[in-house]
Amino acid sequence: MLNEQRIILMTRLASYEKGEGRRNVKIGNYFRSDYIAIQILKSVVSATLVFGIVFAMYVLYDFEAFMQDLYKIDLFVFARNVVTYYAAFVLGYGILTYIVGTWRYAKAKKSLKSYYHNLKKLGAMYNEQK
Amino acid sequence: MTGLLEIREKLKLFYSKYEPFILPVIKFLLAFVALNAVNGKLGYMTQLDNVAAVLIVALMCSFLPAGAMIFFAMVFSLAHMYALSMEVALVGLCVYLVMFLIFFRFSPRNALVVVLTPLLCSMNLSYVVPVAVGLLCGPAAAVSVGCGVSVYYLFETIQANESNISTLGEEETLAKIRLLIDGIAGNKGMLVIVAAFAVTVLVVYFIRRLSVDYAWTIAAVAGAMTNVVILLIGDLVYNINISVAGALLGSLLAILVAKVIEFFRFCVDYGRKEVVQFEDDEYYYYVKAIPKMTVSMSTKTVKRINSHAQSSREASVSRSGLPAGRGAQSSRASQTSRTGGRSVVTERTAAARKSYGTGSRTQSRSGDYRTGKSVTMGNAASAESGGAVDDYEELF
Repeated sequence: MLNEQRIILMTRLASYEKGEGRRNVKIGNYFRSDYIAIQILKSVVSATLVFGIVFAMYVLYDFEAFMQDLYKIDLFVFARNVVTYYAAFVLGYGILTYIVGTWRYAKAKKSLKSYYHNLKKLGAMYNEQK
Repeated sequence: MTGLLEIREKLKLFYSKYEPFILPVIKFLLAFVALNAVNGKLGYMTQLDNVAAVLIVALMCSFLPAGAMIFFAMVFSLAHMYALSMEVALVGLCVYLVMFLIFFRFSPRNALVVVLTPLLCSMNLSYVVPVAVGLLCGPAAAVSVGCGVSVYYLFETIQANESNISTLGEEETLAKIRLLIDGIAGNKGMLVIVAAFAVTVLVVYFIRRLSVDYAWTIAAVAGAMTNVVILLIGDLVYNINISVAGALLGSLLAILVAKVIEFFRFCVDYGRKEVVQFEDDEYYYYVKAIPKMTVSMSTKTVKRINSHAQSSREASVSRSGLPAGRGAQSSRASQTSRTGGRSVVTERTAAARKSYGTGSRTQSRSGDYRTGKSVTMGNAASAESGGAVDDYEELF
């Protein structure tokens, strides 16, 4: 005989696995520190690329003046300024990523905890029937 | 209200029945409109600016994930920019790359918002976007709305500088880049609108999540007001020439759209709110339960009457000892009561199925399915049909 409660629970679990759960399971496969480290690493790469693009646009924007000033300006100071801006940008973006990553990991774990709890309940329903 | 609720239930039922067909059609239409809008706005590459190309790509978008729509819209716009000038395409590509690398990482699921925002902006419905997105999406969608507004202003800048770019010669590469960067980075109006929309999305989102009565309505009104206030402050500070009447009318429209969204997504009966308090060994619980407003769909029962059934019924009546006339009468009476009376909900309607879905989401927060109790309340519909007892269907 069909067990309606079990079918509903299975439907819900399947729906979760198909949608939100897929992403959460991926996150849940990592340790917290690993997940956050990977996200920050991705952010550093992204931020480096974006900084490169923005810097290139900045140079191109006034390329003639830049080339004229290149021989007059103190290159060491210029390079230091660029590196400082780069570090500040990467750091800021990294901190933002850390906050978002921590929040997402906690949310995914909480969601997975209830998912596993329900899987256990489903198993118990099968055992009861036997 | 009952009529509206019935229409809503019918729409839900229709959608759940034909979802595999409706979803691709919606995606196709959205892609078709979005790509046509890109062609209408830019349209410099004649090969892409024709219906056949748009139709083919829209058809592809109908069965691909939503992200594909963004990709194709981006390819279309870059191709048009390239047809105008290679430098314009370079600047456009840089803007897209910055958006993709920095912003989309945090909200990849709100891809449609990035397509819909410039589309609605070009239709002068921009004020609807932040309120609707705040009601339907999460806080990360503020980023998507910002990206969408930026894309809209990128197109506007290109369109506004089209004649200047065309007149500049091939050797004036840097001048073209400077013209575009000035147009984008120096556009204070764009920055004010991006800030206003992002703040509005966050305000609407956080208010609608509050545990107060009429939270969605309050969120929509507060969001619309926040939007107007920030825009007016931006107008005062940067003199960006925002039409006050347009902003107010747009906000009113946004509130109307928000009410429609609320009707479909969060239609509850605050008049029947229940606040209960109980305890167990470890906690005190303060629970507020607000019933959803739903009506049970009337079910049609088709009764087949043929000679064989008639004769068998008569045979059974005669076996029970009743006279034939009375037997026929009682049969008729039972038929009347079956069609005239209210049917207790025994089959799962679309609303009930939907409530399973939200129930599962609630469950993921509370951690116990037993708390997910869905009660389908009959209100005016039940009174009209003569039934005084509420229908209810307990899931667990």
